Amino acid sequence: MNTPARPTSLLQGTLDLLILKTLALEEMHGLGISHRIAQITKSTFQVKPGSLFPALHRMEEAGWLASRWGESESNRRAKYYRLTAAGRRQFLAETREWEKISLAMTHALESI
Amino acid sequence: MPLRHRIFSLCRNLFRRPRVERDLDEEVGAYLEQLTEENAAAGMSRGEARRAALMELGGVTQVKEEVRRVRAGHMMEDFLQDLRFGARALLRRPGFAAAAALALALGIGANTAMFSVAYGILLRPLPYPDAARVALVCMRFSPQNFDFGTMCVADFLDWQAQNHAFEEPSAWSSRRMDLAGAGEPEQVSGSGVTAGFFSTLQVRPVLGRGFLPGADRPGSAAEAVLSESLWRRRFGASPGVLGQTISVNGGAATIVGVMPGAFHFPRASTELWVNVQLNPPARRGPFFLRGVARLKPGVTLEQAQAETNAIGRRIMQENPYYQRLTLPVTSLRESMVGNVRPALLALMGAVGLVLAIAVVNVANLMLARATVREREMALRASLGAGRGRLVRQLLTESVLLAVAGGAAGLALAWGAIRLLRAWNPGNLPLIESVRLDGGALAFTLLISLLTGILFGLAPALHYARADLHGTLKEGGRAGGAGRAGGRTRAALVVAEIALSLMLLAGAGLLLRSLLRLQRVTGGFAARPRAILIVPVSPTDRKYDKAEPTIAYYDQVLERARHVPGVQSAALSDSLPPDNQSDADTFMIQGQTLAPGELNPAVSDALISADFFRTMRVPLLRGRHFTEHDRSDSHPVAMVSDSFARHFLPGRDPIGRYIKQSGPTNDVPYMEVVGVVGDVKYTGLQKDTDAAYYMPYRQNYGRRMFLVVRSSGSAAGLAQALRREIQAIDPGVTLDRASTMETALARAVAQPRFDTMLLALFAGIALLLAAVGIYGVMAWSVARRTHEIGVRMALGAGQASVLVMVIRQSAALALMGIGMGLAGALVLTRWLAALLFGISATDPLTFAAVALGLLGVALVAGFIPAHRATRISPAAALRCE
Repeated sequence: MNTPARPTSLLQGTLDLLILKTLALEEMHGLGISHRIAQITKSTFQVKPGSLFPALHRMEEAGWLASRWGESESNRRAKYYRLTAAGRRQFLAETREWEKISLAMTHALESI
Repeated sequence: MPLRHRIFSLCRNLFRRPRVERDLDEEVGAYLEQLTEENAAAGMSRGEARRAALMELGGVTQVKEEVRRVRAGHMMEDFLQDLRFGARALLRRPGFAAAAALALALGIGANTAMFSVAYGILLRPLPYPDAARVALVCMRFSPQNFDFGTMCVADFLDWQAQNHAFEEPSAWSSRRMDLAGAGEPEQVSGSGVTAGFFSTLQVRPVLGRGFLPGADRPGSAAEAVLSESLWRRRFGASPGVLGQTISVNGGAATIVGVMPGAFHFPRASTELWVNVQLNPPARRGPFFLRGVARLKPGVTLEQAQAETNAIGRRIMQENPYYQRLTLPVTSLRESMVGNVRPALLALMGAVGLVLAIAVVNVANLMLARATVREREMALRASLGAGRGRLVRQLLTESVLLAVAGGAAGLALAWGAIRLLRAWNPGNLPLIESVRLDGGALAFTLLISLLTGILFGLAPALHYARADLHGTLKEGGRAGGAGRAGGRTRAALVVAEIALSLMLLAGAGLLLRSLLRLQRVTGGFAARPRAILIVPVSPTDRKYDKAEPTIAYYDQVLERARHVPGVQSAALSDSLPPDNQSDADTFMIQGQTLAPGELNPAVSDALISADFFRTMRVPLLRGRHFTEHDRSDSHPVAMVSDSFARHFLPGRDPIGRYIKQSGPTNDVPYMEVVGVVGDVKYTGLQKDTDAAYYMPYRQNYGRRMFLVVRSSGSAAGLAQALRREIQAIDPGVTLDRASTMETALARAVAQPRFDTMLLALFAGIALLLAAVGIYGVMAWSVARRTHEIGVRMALGAGQASVLVMVIRQSAALALMGIGMGLAGALVLTRWLAALLFGISATDPLTFAAVALGLLGVALVAGFIPAHRATRISPAAALRCE
């Protein structure tokens, strides 16, 4: 029995950033976040609940997200997540970091 | 603030767990609902939609478990859960838990108790301020080769005058003191000390004062300081004792102070201190002082030793009498406990082995259970528990077990220490500072945790290697992991047998050594139970001279002989096994000694005519002393066999002449009239048997032992003898009478104590090892039921099955014994200091122990083997 491989820190950082980006616009529930990420990454990232929920809870405990129970589009109870002020700062910081890394990686790969 | 958030989350997760869990439940449930609805909206049937949603989710339990893993405090939460689960798992098998905890309790308890004893005696600070800076200074020189030898007044004054390393050289001299005035006369353990003695030890009296500077000058007033115990016993703890006059050894002394109850120096039994007067010495000797002093700040023991060595060389140059003179400097603790250290360290090693065996045994039990629990573990793994999580769970369980064992062990140790302190069978020094304290508690906790992790590792590794999926598929039949587990268990049993053999070898050696020591007779053939000893000490001034003293002892002998039950009565100032009153050198007439050379000091004793007949020491040549060897007759002496062979070889010793002490001693030569068998006066372990004897009537000895031999048990004679002797002079101190049997028992108390403890530990080890072998064999037979059934169905007889199983346990035992013998050969070397009369690698002991252990292993293996022969082939095949 193999336990699911732990996401590498790069992938974990990517997921975090995608969630932050998704929530930067508006409050959303879990399924919505999952759909939105698929949509904005043109289905490159299919976030499964097994990764999504731990990420949401970890980020909530870190103080970047806040949650509340609300009503979904189809009038069902759903848990909604939104960015806190700390989450917004984290989003800006991670975006800058990501741009730096992606630039560096692109340079590195082109130089070969 | 992220930190604030984390703490908040931690608190919420830990304390509002049900709510957090409900929230998670609802969240995942809502997600599932939404997904199902979407799928349905996309055109699936209700059932299909739900199944697809579940597939996408990938298992509700797993998702929730993943979320729990990222939560703050999940480690602690897991731990608490493991703890609850572990406790339930242990309680489900109370027999297993009790057996394992008992084995651990024995191991941990023995370790805690021995740790407390060793710590209290070897390490705990002594009850004197800054005691690490207090050192003893003794004197060793040839021909008087005593390890902690004494110095004379002149040596002490030389040391005091030339000293720079110590703050104030002081000295003491221990002796029995006759105490009279205020009640019946009694003998107490006392010490004559110099003026600086108490200030060196920095002990403050609870009442009055110590000795003032100058109290050791000639002509200073005689003063006495009481111990708290003596003050309570004899003076009713009255503050009015100060200034009171008591009689010490027949002289008057004024009580000036009382020392606190915790002060026991120089001996544990010391109850009275008086000031010695350092009279200007006319010659070197007599030797009776030992030095005690406090190192100056910044001076080390080694520097002090270098200085006393230099002083010793100067004393030697000025006095050709001394040869190879040194002034050994010993720390206070070393002088108190140096002789028990090897035994304590050996016992510490032994309990370490016991614990190792207990750990191996419990690891074995855990492994046996591990095979049973494979299904449970496989189930937990398939429900989402990671491998690390399972290992952690198992370790938590074993640590829980170890802590339970440790708690029980602590109770055992507490009882053992109380017993030991009350009984003190080995006359251990500093036993009063042995107790269970914070250090011991920390030690117990530490070894409990360590042992828990150690024996928990075996089953944990077992699962880590095991293919749990396969197990679940196979329906729980032991697969490859079972076989590997079997090998591990066999290896553990081999280790257990090897460890037990080492312990048994050590115990066997000590036991044989003790038996040899107990066979050492001390040189007399009288039954020890039949010999009664009464120490007699006439203190009055009138006994300062020889004639009245001799006359008094004549009467003592006369009256003692007529007490009913007494077969024979005699006097001696020295007694076997270890009561040497005096050792002195001697001269042989016609012998030429180089200047400064001396014959070695040997035991010299004053005896009455019947001493050897009373003790039944054989007369080898010549005659005994008689009633006619009196002060006005020709001076005579007897010598021991060793003395004759060493110093009077070649010619018949009878008729030769010797005299007491060195060439300058002005005493007449004595004619040797008899040679007797060797008697031990300095301990049963020693072989210093050379001695010469002088009749008490031709010499002056104040203190003597009255020795009587009775027809039956001698203990009953004490009252009557005491009454008779008291009647001659009620002022004479009679110390408590005891039998020779008691004296001999005391002489072997320490070795007997070491042996008993080691034998106890070895016994526990043997029991644990036997249980271990039995467990593995029983388990192996159970596992092979099917195979054995097939064999028997194919015609194998009961005998061949029996042999097959027994051969297996014999193989394990032999492997363990081989390894144990190798280990024992290395380890028993450390016991050498405790052994008497046998070598640390005594082949007989090793062989006996190996055979005994093999026998136990075979018996432990026989029970399951016998069970195997009763397997019914049909039933065995059905059970498949």
